[in-house]
Amino acid sequence: MAQMEILDPTVEPRKQALTYVARPDSLAGKRIGLVENTKFNSDRLLLKIGEILKREYGAAETRMWRKHNAGVPAHAEIIEEAKRGVDVVVAGIGD
Amino acid sequence: MAAELVSRRYAVEDPADAVELCFDRGWTDGLPVVPPTEARVRAMLDAAGLSPEQEIAFITNRQVAVSAEKVAINAVMAGCKPEYMPVVVAAVEGLGDPRWGYHGPATSTGGAGVLMIVNGPVARALDFNCGDNLFGPGWRANATVGRAVRLVMRNAIGTLPGALDRGTFGHPGKYTYVIAENELESPWTPLHVERGFRPDQSTVTVMAAEAPHQVYNQLSSTASGILETMCDDMRVSGNVMGQPNYAVVIAGEHMRTIAASGWGKAEIRAFVFEHTKNSLAHLKRTHRLSGQVEPADETTLRPLLASPDDILVVAAGGRAGSFSVYIPGWASRRSSAAVTTLVQERRT
Repeated sequence: MAQMEILDPTVEPRKQALTYVARPDSLAGKRIGLVENTKFNSDRLLLKIGEILKREYGAAETRMWRKHNAGVPAHAEIIEEAKRGVDVVVAGIGD
Repeated sequence: MAAELVSRRYAVEDPADAVELCFDRGWTDGLPVVPPTEARVRAMLDAAGLSPEQEIAFITNRQVAVSAEKVAINAVMAGCKPEYMPVVVAAVEGLGDPRWGYHGPATSTGGAGVLMIVNGPVARALDFNCGDNLFGPGWRANATVGRAVRLVMRNAIGTLPGALDRGTFGHPGKYTYVIAENELESPWTPLHVERGFRPDQSTVTVMAAEAPHQVYNQLSSTASGILETMCDDMRVSGNVMGQPNYAVVIAGEHMRTIAASGWGKAEIRAFVFEHTKNSLAHLKRTHRLSGQVEPADETTLRPLLASPDDILVVAAGGRAGSFSVYIPGWASRRSSAAVTTLVQERRT
């Protein structure tokens, strides 16, 4: 028979409902947002990806934002400007 | 009536089984823990005047709210005395501060520990070590408060090595990394007073930090001599390019020599800032900075830190021995800044 009880030290993270917008059928004519995470070469990597999306997939334009640092999510200005100004976002990391 | 504890309960035969259950559930840092019984957890909460449901920190990236109950359970497991609980709570509050930026230092391959510097009357009252063998074992307060914070990170926030803690090396300070400032023998303004608190208040400063780097200088009888040695070592330490915080911990002999030169902490910071700059040419030749070395790079200097204020100067360590220590912070100050929080009784 059990003589003692101990308490669980762990915490369950809160559940977050995440939904994705529908993916576009084609990137032709789409405006591409690029979000770089400040790490070394992440801007160069994303610019190359942006060029490929324009050259090979017909994307209209690219625009890049820079996060405050690699350890935080994209800040509110990025989210708001991306919502208004681009159709698709590519977020990448470099290191 | 006391508020109910909501944590799941596990029945075990005896304390030895409780310890094994904690190992089996993955709740320990690899060492045995004290079984967190309700009586022990309540004593921990009572000592800080906290209700179990009170939120101590909210970690945004993890969407985890850390309650007083969970902090208390982990503090019991770490071996804390109940009177240490307000210090553990203050440190966890610091980790939840957006300026500390939990996700980066807790997760990064850079492998930072949480350096905790205790200041004020509580450091003496609870016997936090500020002297001999400063970073070593033997003091319950230092050993268990830092361990409790790491267990909160592991168990409550999910910072598990190999999963959400991806440190390439980590370091032994990730078990516990707590020091106090030797305010009674220091000739200088205590760290917490420099950071805006009163001398009679108690605080914990949390800094995402590498391991301590020890510097030896037995020859100099001046402040500048001792600090030149330190700066020569420190200049290419840590991330070099990251411009984080640094802690400079000055022990007894060096403390007395530097003070005899009439230098305070502001002079120490200014000197260290000026003497830890690297030329762009050196940074390029040693592959810390990309690009070809240009003629101007030989004379263009890049500071190790963004500002002299990013250096935390602490008087601590043994009375004997011509050593001091510097501790590089993790990444950049923009990613994680040292945060000082008040140690307080919450009893209303």
